[in-house]
Parts: sequence; structure tokens; C-alpha cells
Amino acid sequence: MKRVSSFILPVVLVLAAVVFPLVLGPYPQTVARTVFKYMALALTWDMLFRSGQVSFGVAGFFGLGTYATVLLAVKAGFSFPLAMLLGAVIAAVFAYALGFLVLQLRGTYFSITTLALAEIFRVILRNWTSFSGGPEGIVLQQIVFGGQSKALYWLNLGVLLVVLLVSVWLENSKFHFALTSIRDNEVSAQTSGVNIFRTLLIVFTITAFLQGLVGAVDVVSYGYAMPDSAFDANYTLLPLAMVLLGGEHSTWGPVIGSVLLGVASEYLKLKIPYGHLLVYGVIIILVILFMPRGLLGFFRRKKGANRG
Amino acid sequence: MASSKKAIPWIIAGAVGLVAILLWKPTVLIYGVQRAGLYAAIALPMGLAEGILHIVNLAHGELLMVAAYITYSLAQALGLDPLLALFPAMIAMAIVGYLLYQLTIRKALKGPELNQLILTFGIGIALSQIITLIYTSRTRKLHLDYVSSSLTIGQTSFGIWDFTFVALAILMTIGIRLFLSRTKLGKAAVAVGQNPRGAAIVGIDVQKTYSLVFTASVVLVGIAGSFFLTRQSIFPGVGSPFTMKSFSLIAMAGVGSISGVLYSSLALGIAEAIINGIPGMSGWSDIVFFLIIIITIAVRASRTRQS
Repeated sequence: MKRVSSFILPVVLVLAAVVFPLVLGPYPQTVARTVFKYMALALTWDMLFRSGQVSFGVAGFFGLGTYATVLLAVKAGFSFPLAMLLGAVIAAVFAYALGFLVLQLRGTYFSITTLALAEIFRVILRNWTSFSGGPEGIVLQQIVFGGQSKALYWLNLGVLLVVLLVSVWLENSKFHFALTSIRDNEVSAQTSGVNIFRTLLIVFTITAFLQGLVGAVDVVSYGYAMPDSAFDANYTLLPLAMVLLGGEHSTWGPVIGSVLLGVASEYLKLKIPYGHLLVYGVIIILVILFMPRGLLGFFRRKKGANRG
Repeated sequence: MASSKKAIPWIIAGAVGLVAILLWKPTVLIYGVQRAGLYAAIALPMGLAEGILHIVNLAHGELLMVAAYITYSLAQALGLDPLLALFPAMIAMAIVGYLLYQLTIRKALKGPELNQLILTFGIGIALSQIITLIYTSRTRKLHLDYVSSSLTIGQTSFGIWDFTFVALAILMTIGIRLFLSRTKLGKAAVAVGQNPRGAAIVGIDVQKTYSLVFTASVVLVGIAGSFFLTRQSIFPGVGSPFTMKSFSLIAMAGVGSISGVLYSSLALGIAEAIINGIPGMSGWSDIVFFLIIIITIAVRASRTRQS
């Protein structure tokens, strides 16, 4: 019985998300799309973080997916669905190949190198003008679904659901134990037969695929790619803060964190056009210092304390 | 002995390379050295904190930026030259550094390395957003006559103001080394850096030492920030690339090696200047930097894993 009841809330939420645009107007739909985008990125960041690796390269693979999709659609004349899928695959291939280098690294070295990779992608696409359009970027002739806001909403929601399913699958597969054991203690993980490098490489590639896919959907929804917006550091920063606030190493945590922070920042963006991201910095600091398990951990602990 | 013999071919190759650059374009060498001075002056304070506290401060570049803004405001409000505004700015940065340490870093030092990384990342964002809130993201610049002074030797003419960064870097190196080797506090700091528990046992106040060294590193990067303002336009994001650059320069030099930072800065400054010196290539200079970073980090990390 408990298994069935644990499905009720997610199903209700997903159904509510699906019918949302039938009830509410274009502006809430745009806000929801932004929240979906960051929620998807937050989930992918958390998937790798479950192994204890802090990637600062989310923006890099997001941007790769963006550019690969645009270039395939504009230069090679691919249809949108195919360009998007291949865009995500290209991001995954890059991650797979680069994984052989960066996944040898741990801790700060891993984090900084992923950040450097994202910067390299940006610098290349910024300077290789004949290929990528340079700093001005590339514009798509048309955006997907003729820019119909409901259709775009459902497309974004669909990608988010894919990411959610992967996240839930990872949580319930043997990868979960492998990732957790790598995070806890690599030596004992290895002695218990976990192939650390292979596990990390698979998860790194999967998350890059999903990040690329989110980038691909973003670019066909907005219609242009520019190096400074496709590789915007916010794609790394915001998901990280969302995961920390909601609660790390889970699917619910990033979901809760991205809804709270996503809606809050859309509101603050209107009130304070310059500097509204201060909220993200402050939340990261406060969570690390006072609430290391995020909201989820905070309430779980309270519940436990009440019971005990 | 063996290692110094191994170094000989490298030194010869380096010297030949430098002569070749000098014959090709002397200004490349000059600008490379000047750039290296700037990099080193920013990286050295971070290296100090990393060597003693074993914390990678991802807000380092933002602290540079904050110091530049404080200096800018003082210069504008009081009509001071930024190099005079430097002194009140140093006091302000000391307060910033002390508070940052006491309110945030101190608590995180006990936690895992990743928490420190994420914490300082958050501090960096908060600092740049606070500055955006106060000053907006508009670019600001001071127009000073003396920074455009130049010198002509033979047929080559070049700006000389940027040599102040070289001087600053050398002064910082000497200052830090003298502090660590000659003063009681500095010796205590070295001991704490090597073994905090052992240092505590022999009666060194570890917390006080950490607080002092972190504050000192913030003040030093603040000085670099004031000098940075004399030459460059500033905006809230101006500092963040320097965090990564400084981290990489320290990784290249080896954590704890103060003079090593000078050499790694020199190598990178000149490499970037070479790319900048090729017509139409200036946009690519960053890529050289990032490639060198990745190679260095990969080599260093694999070496530490083996040992």
C-alpha cells in the first residue's frame, strides 16, 4: 500500500503541470518554462553530485547542446527534432571523451577543470566566426511550433519529465549504491567491486546529454544562440543553489529548490533588475553554514525529532 | 642535484625562446612580463591563503573587484588619486576579510573540502551582486594621465605604467617570504599550515593565525585591486576570471610555493602575449591559457595520485 501512496503526489503534480497552460495565461507559462529549465539542470547537476563530484560545467554542456542544435538546423538543414536529439548526443560525446581526462581528477581540481572546459567552449565559439557566427551568434529562421506558447510549454515540460524519470531511475538502480559509495569512501567502494571510473563516466555522459537536451529545447524555443548567453554562468550557479536549498542527493530536493528559487527570482527580477541574483549567493552561504541537508533534510530532521 | 641537472635543458630552451621572441617582436616580451606581473600580484595572496588555510577561495577575484570599487568610490568622493585612496581601501578590505573569516570561512574550515568550495563560490556571487545592486553593471573607469606614459627604445615604443604590477608582484613575494621566515607570527603561520593540531599543541593560537592570514590575503588582493583600477575599466564581473587564473597559476607552481607563482605567471603572461602579438589572433589568447591550465592540472593531479 505504501508504494502506491508514494506515487499519488508525483502523479497529481505532473497532471497539474500538464493542464496548467489551459488555466493560466502566457506570463505564468513563461515563468513555468524558466522554472522547468532550471529544474531540469538542477536535477542533472545533482545526479553527478550524488557521487560527491561538484561540476561547474553545466553551462558548458548546456551551451554545447544549444550550438550543436542551431548549427545542425541552420547549416545542415536538419529538422528540429533531429537537430535537438543530435545536439544532445554531441554534448554527450564531448562529455564522454573529456571524461577520460577530467574524471581522473577529484575535489577542487575536478570542479575548476569543468569550469575551464565551459570557458573553452565559449571562447572557441566566440572566436570561430566563420563557423559559429562569432560574438553575435546565430539566429534561427523560425522558432519551433511557430512560437505558440502552449506548445512550447509542453515541449519544455516533456524534456523535464525525461530528466525526472532518469533521476528517479538513477535513484532506484544499482548506480545509486555505486554513486553513494564513491561519495562516502572511494577506497571501500573499489574494494566492494565498484568500477569508479566507469560509473562516473556513465553518469557524466548521461548528465551532459540531458544538459545538452535542455539547451537544445531552449534554443529552439527562443530562436537564437550567442556565446555569452548560451554559456551563461547562471546555468551553473542557479541549479547549484536550487539543489542546495531543496536538499542534495535526491529527486525531490532539486524539484522543491527550483520551484522556490525559480519563482522567487522571477518576481525579484521585476522588482530589482540589477542584483537580484544576490538571493542565490546568500542562499548558498546560508545553506552551507546552517542547513547542510537543505530544506528536505531540515524537515525530515524535525519530523524525526517530533516522533522521537 | 639530479633535479637541477634535469632543469638545464629547460632553462636553455626557455632562454633561446626568449631571445627568439625578443628578435621577433620585443613588445611581446614586454607586454608578457607586464601581464605576468598583474597575474602574479593577484595570485600570490590566494596562494598564501591556500598554503596556510588549505582553502581554495573562489571569491578571490570578486574581492579584487570589490577593492577596485571601494578605491573608485573613495577616489570619486574625496577627489583622491587611487594610489592615495589605496590606504583607506586597505583598511576597508581588512574589515571585509576579517568579517568574512569570522562569519563564514571559520565555520566551513571544519567541514569537507567541497563545502568550502561551494561556500566561497556563493560568497563570490553575493559580492558581485551586492556591487551590481549598488553600482549597476555599468562599466567604470578612472582617467589618469600617468598610466599612459611610455618609453621609446630604438624603434620600439611601449607603455611603462604596467611595470608597476611587476614591481607589486615582486614586493609581495619578498614581503610574504620575509613575513613567513623572519617574523614570529609568520613562523607560527607556517607551522599551522603544515600541521594545525601539532601547532595547537605547542601553544600556537590556530584560529588567530588563520584569521590573520586570511585577512592579510584579502588586504593584499585589495592592494592589487586598487592598482588594477588605475589601468582597467571595472564592472561587477571583472574579477571572476582572475579566480580561475589564480587557482591555475598556484596549481602550476605547486601549492605553498611562493616564488613558483612568479614563474608560472611569467610563462602564462608571455604565452598570452605571443598569441596577442599575432595579428587577428587576439581573441584566442584565452584558449592558450585554458589549455595550459587543463594540462597542468591533469599532470599535477595524476602525479599526486601516484605518490
